[in-house]
Amino acid sequence: MTVPFTIQQNSPQHWAARTGAVAVLFAGIYYVYLTATTATLQSVTEATIIAIAAVALNLLLGFNGQISIGHSAFAGIASFVTGYTVSQWDWNPYQSLILSVVVCFGVGFLVGLPALRLKGPYLALVTLAVAFVWPTIAAQFLEKKIDDTKLAGLRLDPPGWTGLEGNRADRAIYMYWLGLLLLLVAYIVVRNLRKSRIGRSLVAVRDNETAAAVMGVNLRLTKTITFGISAAIAGMAGWLFAAISDTIIPRNFLILQAIIYLLALFLGGPATYTGPIVGAFTYFFVDRYIRQNVPDWTFLPAIVQGGAIAPLLLSIVVIAFVFVAPFGLVGFFKTQGRRFMNVAPQPLSDPATARLQQHTSAATAAESE
Amino acid sequence: MGEFLQYVINGLALGAIYSLVALGLVVIYRGTGHLNFAQGEMALFATFGAWWIYDRGVTMWFAVIIATVFAFIGGAVIEFGLMRPAGKKSPLAVVVVSIALFQGMNSLTNLVFKESSDGVTFQSLFPNEPLDFYRLSGETIWRFQDLGILVTVLILTGGLFLLFQKTKVGLAMRMVANNPDSAKLVGVSTNKTLMLSWGIAAALGAVAGAMIGGLNANLNIFTMFEIFLLSSAAATLGGLDSPLGALVGGLLLGVIKSLVSNYPKDWAGSGYVNATTAVAAAFVIILIVLVVRPSGLFGSSRVERV
Amino acid sequence: MTVMLDVKDLVAGYGAVQVLEGLALHVNEGEVAVMLGANGAGKTTTMRAISGMIARKGTVKFLGNDITTTAPNEIVRMGIAQVPQGRGTFTDLTVEDNMRAGAYIRKNGSDVDADMKEWYDVFPRLRERRSQKAGSLSGGEQQMLAIARALMSKPKLLLCDEPSLGLAPIITQELFTILGRLNAEHGLSILVVEQNANLAVKIAHQVFVLETGTIVASGTAEEIAADDIVRKAYLGY
Repeated sequence: MTVPFTIQQNSPQHWAARTGAVAVLFAGIYYVYLTATTATLQSVTEATIIAIAAVALNLLLGFNGQISIGHSAFAGIASFVTGYTVSQWDWNPYQSLILSVVVCFGVGFLVGLPALRLKGPYLALVTLAVAFVWPTIAAQFLEKKIDDTKLAGLRLDPPGWTGLEGNRADRAIYMYWLGLLLLLVAYIVVRNLRKSRIGRSLVAVRDNETAAAVMGVNLRLTKTITFGISAAIAGMAGWLFAAISDTIIPRNFLILQAIIYLLALFLGGPATYTGPIVGAFTYFFVDRYIRQNVPDWTFLPAIVQGGAIAPLLLSIVVIAFVFVAPFGLVGFFKTQGRRFMNVAPQPLSDPATARLQQHTSAATAAESE
Repeated sequence: MGEFLQYVINGLALGAIYSLVALGLVVIYRGTGHLNFAQGEMALFATFGAWWIYDRGVTMWFAVIIATVFAFIGGAVIEFGLMRPAGKKSPLAVVVVSIALFQGMNSLTNLVFKESSDGVTFQSLFPNEPLDFYRLSGETIWRFQDLGILVTVLILTGGLFLLFQKTKVGLAMRMVANNPDSAKLVGVSTNKTLMLSWGIAAALGAVAGAMIGGLNANLNIFTMFEIFLLSSAAATLGGLDSPLGALVGGLLLGVIKSLVSNYPKDWAGSGYVNATTAVAAAFVIILIVLVVRPSGLFGSSRVERV
Repeated sequence: MTVMLDVKDLVAGYGAVQVLEGLALHVNEGEVAVMLGANGAGKTTTMRAISGMIARKGTVKFLGNDITTTAPNEIVRMGIAQVPQGRGTFTDLTVEDNMRAGAYIRKNGSDVDADMKEWYDVFPRLRERRSQKAGSLSGGEQQMLAIARALMSKPKLLLCDEPSLGLAPIITQELFTILGRLNAEHGLSILVVEQNANLAVKIAHQVFVLETGTIVASGTAEEIAADDIVRKAYLGY
């Protein structure tokens, strides 16, 4: 039985390990930029959209315990707001990003208000209904009947200072980096929120509302604002979609998308920082692989051909994960990793507790010898 | 007046279907405390199964009965193989599995019955020719189809009521719904009882699917989703643990939907009223009810120990 | 003297938390055994383990049959009925339905009806309230109902988990008088667990003292009452 190699939290070794991991990650991203085809870069950006939405959902569901099967509505609203303001009002696309985020925050906050009264299945149902209904509302606003609701996408051109031009390859490069930047922003927002005092109240509310309220957490504010921020981040995903698309139609953001966000989150690992990102990318590329290759797997019976297999496999994989790896891929790897390396928590500053900790760790070290 | 009655009558048929699906949701909720997100899609699969059997040359009634029996078995197997192990993990696991099952059953239907993407014509269980109706008075008619659906649902609901109140099996189901530990202590097999609950819910769903297929004369991959949403709304309205609430909620919602879809004919806003707005309106109504009575019209409030 | 229930080396708990660590007790046929223990000692865990509600290791024998791995509903069929902690009545069901629930494992309808009449005679207040929802009864009445429900399965052994919990002293007195009568007149073997148990010990033949998962003292009621330490700790005088 291998004894795990232990390092102290926040020690120089810990910092070195984390910096090393980030460096490897950045190297990987840069490598992909250098060597990938345009199509692959575009795919990464598509996966990034799902990742941002999953990060948003993680904030609400993983950390705050409010279940939403309707986050596609927020992404959809953002993409529509963006498409509309840019094509009808001639706005700068980046201004539209800000507006979309703000609008989504507002809508999320509004949805969060009745959500205060609802728990579990009731809340899930209402969010499902929101996801079902938002295209109609968008159609109302666009004064068209629902099937005609279509907006021009942005097909965003890279700005001059990047040295890139307005052709397909360069746009893909630009969106690749922009998408990853937005994902980084989302990741930082959620991580910092979680580590702050507000983050602690979020989790307290998730674990036991009554106890949290009794300890002074403002339930209403916490839950509604979390809903708003989560929706706003999902809005970023919607903007990104608008930025890379030729057209925007409601069908891009229906229930299936909301379910994909949920399932990607569970695949990766809820209530972790990297879980939703890992889950989203894994889902996207495995799904793509299946779609491209299943027609060639002639050993499968004829009924299993065609794209319809992908959502089914997704469902099966998620169900399998619930039993095999309930904390998702990230949780699984963390557990395996802990067999080799352990991060010991930082000793507390109070001298008596520190002495106790030292005594306990000495005793445990003596035991394992 | 005659018009109003007509809309009410039309609404009752659709409402009866909502009631049936809602009843399935309530049976499972009472037994397990969870919402079966896959209720609609399980029904979809079963109904396509019925269509497939009918296509082989038997009567629709026969096909639906066979499909219902298989649905019953399927529901019990799902409880045993999926939901029970998930329940042992955590409540969140059950929700995730339920949602995955929702997506999975829909995809499975699409895969196994390729025709589902385009839709198929569905033969109704009841006479559905243009002249098949009772004339009530003047212009108001009651189509055999609508009457048949309503009567079937009322009979099934009545049967379920008798099951719950007068039989030992029903008593066991009520016991497990109220206090599963105590149920074990008097000798009830909670496992068997839950399998039965799921089987019944799946069977009810199969019948509901056949009826909506007949009502629309069409069945496609999207048919059951809106039904599921509105049935959950109905169950929520009536109280997720009340069979009577499911019945009343469903009928009410069906009638309201019919009225809202048909009445504002001359309003300026009439262009905005369509199927989805009806769903939105339904949910707004539900929300209002939940604010006033969080456990629904007929539901019982649960005391939660902190 | 036949041993009705024989428990040895019982180990049980909840997940990672081990509550019982090698518990041993027995109930002789026709006798009342009382297990005393403070809060958290493991009384309810013991009861749940015997009835098969939680996973357990060790040996639990009922009338010579090993029931350590038997399922809860099978254990009821064999003749053990439990009155769980906190009553465990079916609050949404009527009093009468609760009684019928107790008779779930029995086949003969008219026998069940006859028994119900008999127990209504013992607990007249239940007859008065037979059509009321059990949740609307008072604590004492619910306790009576829980006992009556357990008796409806015609058990050979009755397990009572803290029957006095939350009840007024005068009701508790009535309760133990009834338990005493059930043992004396009907020959019912009973295992009662209690926290503070003057009254329980008065009807007991055997007493076991439970402390953090094991039995630390046992004997006849007289022996235990004579033991100063136990008396001071558990009987309060």
